[in-house]
Amino acid sequence: MIMVSEELKAQHKVPSDLEQLPVIWRYELLRYLRSWRLYASVVIVVVVMALLYLLPPLIGEGYSGTDTETSLWVTPTGGPPDSPVPVYAVGMINRSQIDTGSLVLYRDGAEYASAGGTVWFLTEVEYGSATVYTIMFLEDVTDSEIAATYDWYISPESFETLFLNFASFLIIICATFFGADAIVGEFQNRTGYLIFPNPMRRSVLFAGKFMASVTAGLMVVVFFYAVLAGLSLVSARGLDDDLLLSFLYAVEFLLAAMAVAYLVSSLLKGTTGATVLTFFLFIMILPILDSVSMFSGVKLEGSVTFSAGAMIYVLTDPYPGDEVQDYGACRMTMFYPDPALAHVVMLGYAVVATALGIWLFNRKQLAG
Amino acid sequence: MIELQKLTKSFGPIKAVDGLDLKVSRGATVGFLGPNGAGKTTTIKILTHLIGATDGRALLNGVDVVSDPKAALAHVGAVVETPEFYPYLTPLETLAYLGRVRGMHHEDIVRRSDEVLHQVKMEQWRTTRIGKFSKGMKQRLAIGQALLHEPDILIFDEPTSGLDPRGMVEVREIIKQLKKEHYTIFMSSHLLGEVQETCDRAALIDHGKLLVYDDIENLGKLTKVSKLEIVGSSPIGDPLAEGISRMPSVVRVDRANGQTLVVTYEGSVESRGDLLRAIQALGVNVVSFSPVGLPLEMMYMDLVKESR
Repeated sequence: MIMVSEELKAQHKVPSDLEQLPVIWRYELLRYLRSWRLYASVVIVVVVMALLYLLPPLIGEGYSGTDTETSLWVTPTGGPPDSPVPVYAVGMINRSQIDTGSLVLYRDGAEYASAGGTVWFLTEVEYGSATVYTIMFLEDVTDSEIAATYDWYISPESFETLFLNFASFLIIICATFFGADAIVGEFQNRTGYLIFPNPMRRSVLFAGKFMASVTAGLMVVVFFYAVLAGLSLVSARGLDDDLLLSFLYAVEFLLAAMAVAYLVSSLLKGTTGATVLTFFLFIMILPILDSVSMFSGVKLEGSVTFSAGAMIYVLTDPYPGDEVQDYGACRMTMFYPDPALAHVVMLGYAVVATALGIWLFNRKQLAG
Repeated sequence: MIELQKLTKSFGPIKAVDGLDLKVSRGATVGFLGPNGAGKTTTIKILTHLIGATDGRALLNGVDVVSDPKAALAHVGAVVETPEFYPYLTPLETLAYLGRVRGMHHEDIVRRSDEVLHQVKMEQWRTTRIGKFSKGMKQRLAIGQALLHEPDILIFDEPTSGLDPRGMVEVREIIKQLKKEHYTIFMSSHLLGEVQETCDRAALIDHGKLLVYDDIENLGKLTKVSKLEIVGSSPIGDPLAEGISRMPSVVRVDRANGQTLVVTYEGSVESRGDLLRAIQALGVNVVSFSPVGLPLEMMYMDLVKESR
């Protein structure tokens, strides 16, 4: 039997907005932890990463190996310069990373020792934006055939870039899976009849749900970067210095994409429409605008998908600059997002889309 | 206490609620009646912050739910239509979620969850995910969650909707029990018998406007129309039935069987004696003369017909 207890009522004072937020976050997160969507996202990560990792070696483009007695293209320097270390010629190794301890040179088929660096030595020379392993010959070898044997492996930058092309697609999947139907579902599935008549602001409900969706997305993105880091340590023997910065860009893109997904979810009336629109907005509509900018020569710095490219380009040393390429009558400009502006654009999308989403959610009525 | 002040809600050119004034005093159980499209559910949706109002105020314990829904809904429990639950949660988890949002302490949530699940006969499903629950089970749970935090005000929209006859009786018993415990209850229903059985007062609206609001017993007296079942000791022939139908204040006569007629009569309770005497004077040996149908039903039909 129920007894109205004044004492009990006095005890359960309605919590503040900040106290309600983690409650909503916790129970909304359960929705994803107990749904197929989170596991499907993880499976997608595993499958795609397995394909990206296994396919290149299968088609003959491995991540490491040994080049045996590979001919070096030796270029004369024009004679011993007037310097303390007279270099007669240089030879370049066409691999981004080698195990320097494994390097053996051959001159006309016979092993060619460096004699403690007095005959030749290995150094890294910067040519434009690339660093190239270069052998400096301290005697004239231009009449000889020089070959080299060495162990090589892919650079962390090249290896990680290969995978990061998938990152933005993964984040779009997360926004679609965890955000697109989060608000509209309360109306279409009639759960709003349960949750709205509670002493809680809709903006708090929106924020709690948004935090849960971002948490679910973050779990998938962290899993992706963790696997990538592991594979990079194994295959490229290290991590790119900027991988953490790339992760930061990925988180920002996740926030922006999720906020836009929530905006779409607050705007539309059906879960299917919201899901389809969110997915195609990021996978097709915005990328089309980005590609049009290549031909028009107008840089769309304000595009969130364009800015998201920073999560890949940030690994490139040095950061690439815009390039104009002429193909006959056709001129294309390869634009690269400004790394500082990319932060602003993605966070700007997150803030503006969230504010608009809350405004729409507050106005939305459960009238059906 | 619930108070509606000139409450208005328009959907484009249609006024679903039109300047509605209504006051439900503390501890009262009020039925909210009206035909389909009268504005009952719209009013309840405004009160529970599911939709906004175009004009006017909807006060819960003196706080306007339109301008400050968080404070207004602090001590309100509501069941609007048949709500859907989050299918990934169990009843216990759902109650814990709602309890924490409403500011209940963990121990209170545990204790009250046990109590309300027992009350709505859902204890055996307490740890089963709601996804596969039937409509009736969800309706029971909906009532349970509304009672969880022992609110001052309970708002029910068709509380027995979706329940089987046994479930309907059980829910009515719960409402009657809550009434004894002095909850303020405001419930809409299509079932006039349910309102008559459970409520102290009833408000009847149509076209978004209040037609009448009074104690249940007074409402029955408002109608002039009543139905009377007349049973003769032997079959009542057609000429006699026709004679009855021509009597003053008799609206129509329907034959139930050879010996039984149902007379629709427009007149006061006191004047029924005159009717009985007139029928007997026609030569009918009346062995039973009794009103049929609920007074509230008669009032409802009468007032709604007038308003349309």
